[in-house]
Amino acid sequence: MKNIAVTKWILQRVSAVILLPLLLWFLFIFLNLVKQDYQNIVLFFQDDIKFIITLVFLIISFFHMKIGMSEIFEDYIQNSRYKSVANLLMTAFATVLPLLTIVSLFFIIK
Amino acid sequence: MENQNKNNPLSPHLQVYKWQLSSLLSITHRLTSVINTLGITFICFWIIFLAMGEDWYKYFSLFSNSFLGKFVLIGFTWSFSYHLLNGIRHLCWDLGYGYEIKTANLSGIFVLTSSFILTLLFWIIL
Repeated sequence: MKNIAVTKWILQRVSAVILLPLLLWFLFIFLNLVKQDYQNIVLFFQDDIKFIITLVFLIISFFHMKIGMSEIFEDYIQNSRYKSVANLLMTAFATVLPLLTIVSLFFIIK
Repeated sequence: MENQNKNNPLSPHLQVYKWQLSSLLSITHRLTSVINTLGITFICFWIIFLAMGEDWYKYFSLFSNSFLGKFVLIGFTWSFSYHLLNGIRHLCWDLGYGYEIKTANLSGIFVLTSSFILTLLFWIIL
């Protein structure tokens, strides 16, 4: 992996392929669960396999999002300082929110 | 006008750009990527509200069961569906398939139609 741009390009595609089935599955689950009551949702996440797939979906989707967003910044933000600030904020967002969500998931099943 | 033709071409300015299906679908792919970021954030808040307990979760369900909530959820469903399907189209291009104008236009129409059908499926099956 000599070139960072090539690495990003490949990682974006690899994460996209992994996300194809995960997104279909999670979207179906989410739209179904969001209409149900609290106890049923908690019960769903107490299943180990479903819990792990949800974690994997969250982590990879934020990873995919981070690469995609920096690609958009690359195209539309001309000033390199603003660009690095935007990238820094996006990295913080793509780290803090999934972490907070994963901690929340552990709280739910506890 | 004659003077203008002698100038070098500029990058497309969206205000005066002649829209084609290919460019429209391309910008929509980016647009949906930004909406999906909001969508995944919404999902994260769903989980965070769940962790805060049943009392807090009531406020979330109050929103998600409202008319506006349903509208937002259907919007996110379409945005995710479109990005997923058009993503497959992009992956095909990356593998070297579907570059002919006719094929690209056809796959574009297919993706656009399918995104609405997939959204409909998500909301009818459920």
